[in-house]
Amino acid sequence: MPDGSFSHPQERQFNPYTENGGTILAIAGADFSVVAGDTRQSEGYSIQTRYAPKVFRLTDRAVLAVNGFAADGNMFVKKVKQRLEWYRHAHAKDMPLRAIARLIQTMLYAQRFFPYYVYNILGGIEEDGTGAVYSFDPVGSYEREACRAAGAAQALVQPFLDNQIYFKNQQAPVGSSHPVHLPLQDVLSIVIDSFTSATERHIEVGDGLEIYVIVAKGRSPQGLESIRNVQELSTNPEGDRVFVIRRELKKD
Amino acid sequence: MSWGRPRNDAVDMFNTYPLNQRAQHGHAHDNFAEGVQRTQQPIVTGTSVLAIKYKDGIMMAADTLASYGSLARFKNIQRLHAVGDTTVIGASGDMSDFQYLQGLLDELVTDEFTAGDGNALAPHEVHEYLARVLYARRSKMNPLWNALLVGGVRDGAPFLGYVDLLGTTYQASTLATGYGAHIALPLLRQAVETREDSLPEDEARRILTESMRVLFYRDARSLNKFQIAKVTAAGVDISEPIVLDTHWSFAEGIRGYGAQTQ
Amino acid sequence: MNTLVQRFSTTGPAAEIRKAKEVLGEEDDVVDVMGFGNLASGVPKFSIPGVPDPSAFLKMHTDDFADPSCRIKIKHGTTTLAFRFKGGVIVAVDSRATAGSYIASGTVKKVIEINPYLLGTMAGGAADCQYWETYLGIQCRLHELRNRERISVAAASKYLSNLVYSYKGMGLSMGTMICGWDKTGPAVYYVDSDGTRLKGDVFSVGSGSTFAYGVLDQGYHWDLSDEEAQELGRRSIYAAGHRDAFSGNTINLYHVKEDGWKFIGNYDVSKMHYDGPDGRGGYGYDLRVEGKSSANPPSSA
Repeated sequence: MPDGSFSHPQERQFNPYTENGGTILAIAGADFSVVAGDTRQSEGYSIQTRYAPKVFRLTDRAVLAVNGFAADGNMFVKKVKQRLEWYRHAHAKDMPLRAIARLIQTMLYAQRFFPYYVYNILGGIEEDGTGAVYSFDPVGSYEREACRAAGAAQALVQPFLDNQIYFKNQQAPVGSSHPVHLPLQDVLSIVIDSFTSATERHIEVGDGLEIYVIVAKGRSPQGLESIRNVQELSTNPEGDRVFVIRRELKKD
Repeated sequence: MSWGRPRNDAVDMFNTYPLNQRAQHGHAHDNFAEGVQRTQQPIVTGTSVLAIKYKDGIMMAADTLASYGSLARFKNIQRLHAVGDTTVIGASGDMSDFQYLQGLLDELVTDEFTAGDGNALAPHEVHEYLARVLYARRSKMNPLWNALLVGGVRDGAPFLGYVDLLGTTYQASTLATGYGAHIALPLLRQAVETREDSLPEDEARRILTESMRVLFYRDARSLNKFQIAKVTAAGVDISEPIVLDTHWSFAEGIRGYGAQTQ
Repeated sequence: MNTLVQRFSTTGPAAEIRKAKEVLGEEDDVVDVMGFGNLASGVPKFSIPGVPDPSAFLKMHTDDFADPSCRIKIKHGTTTLAFRFKGGVIVAVDSRATAGSYIASGTVKKVIEINPYLLGTMAGGAADCQYWETYLGIQCRLHELRNRERISVAAASKYLSNLVYSYKGMGLSMGTMICGWDKTGPAVYYVDSDGTRLKGDVFSVGSGSTFAYGVLDQGYHWDLSDEEAQELGRRSIYAAGHRDAFSGNTINLYHVKEDGWKFIGNYDVSKMHYDGPDGRGGYGYDLRVEGKSSANPPSSA
């Protein structure tokens, strides 16, 4: 190089980050929200474990998915949960979803100069009973959306979601229009198809799938109870309800 | 014109450098600038640790070598360490950092005992503690240069966990660090997965021994002397060093090995 | 005496907490048990990596321009504009966010509603703009409470510019326009993370700004009617969305008048190309193909 910059001795600096693969996604419905993630954790070409959860229940109406550097992700979830517990002690109620979203922004931005290498997707039910998804970048910019995929296979999954959820590049039949929100069964099919397809085409996705479903208070769970491998996690069946569905994905 | 892009005065506007390579601007770093020595690279190191779950609990293996670069410097170092009566940890990576952690854990066990409430640390608690320590140190850019396996049994439930210098953690029924993750782990997974609850002790021991043998043949930083720790409901038992008898006669038939005439 | 003993004792709760802080890296970063985040304490605190050159560290891991293979890709904004005219201020932006060459989002709100009289725009780091303009909103409200009157656009923009200047060289990236209406009438200030603050009539910021300026400058004059001004803002962002790869998707249009800002609408860039805002002729398609094919013969024929 002209200035000889490559001939200088170079200090090998400790790299505090790594990448642990996997993919997460969330879709908001009219009165429900679905948050999902695969359970494979990898580094480079090695599969470290086939079961490391990336999706976490925060409250009866909020679920957080984290993806990127697993150590940062786990620590971040731990700190969010701690703050939510303090909020419960101070206010004797759970923090509302939009407040959790803002809290996550400020917590991420506090690390602006030493970022968490984590992509967050928050899903749940707003105070008005609508399903919501919030997505974040590693330093805290966020927006409310109808659907979002993040992680290793985001570039595979997001275009599929744009097409199936937002009906991008689809023409509605003459005299009809695309629905604004899909029913839960359709959304679950889209989620499962997203992950089986991502598993086929991305080496860092696979092993297991965890789908969290948050259903608004007083709304019908739309046949959720009859689905196989479903488990209810809510503390109060009278309020917003949280379910988790576990599925296997291909392990190769 | 650089809006929508981070401000960066070191940006190479005219692509004079190959893609993906950055010019190293700034000044040479003075190694004596800071009074504190940080582990920026490991010095005396241990190689792979292996661990599996079996019928009665968990079993872990590590050889007794501590290398100094490529030199086999200390050939009788114990890399498996009992924490209380229910947990064992195995360390690869920097041995001085491991010794620091042993001190930390011993103190923790003592404090827990001194409390006198009859409570002792469970394996998953030791794992969580180590994860927090290692993550805190990586966040100070001053890592403890280790990859650790934590194993144990508490209330009949076996536990196996991994934690490394970045604070990365995970759990699985078969674990290995370093070279072992590439060479031995596939063997362990094939032998153990789906059989965790039925695998008898002698077979578990045989699986680990065979994996250590394979590692010894291929890992240049390993030794044919190792220890096996087992943790069951009865407590921790770390074996005396086991020496493998190895055979190199087959090597004569391998092209490229030893004095070759063609 | 008791506290002295406590400080140096090696057992007991105080010692345990001290030890946990040391070994586990716990910091008293959270004095705020109420859960208001680090904004509540007034001055936010940031953790800095313990390396000799923190901004070089940040650059190494987040700057995808210098190194496309860097891991942490921060979202970046792109084309924004604002101009002042007799009828107030027009603010128009696109909605695309890119991380490297990936279109991370096509639905970003790049106009930040600081309060009913103030708007900020987003170019550069999305989080930097969102966070600091929210913070500015807090400070503007405090100004109102302390002084019994609204903050001027000049003062608000200066607050922001002084703030980002205090972080100069640390890696913040924002190019923003603070727009509003105060006692002096309509006002637009450009503020960026270098600390630059400029008062002006017409600004455009972002990678697509050159395209937007082209349209803006040829159509701008002070006496524009409200409708003409809105059309000019929309048409300018369309031009940037059409020609700049890092801009596009949709246009968000705002109009600030004496009684505060009003959201005018959201327009799809492709729709603007083919159909235009009212469906009566697009900005780009018809005028290029009219009379050029047998399927679309010249109207005179």
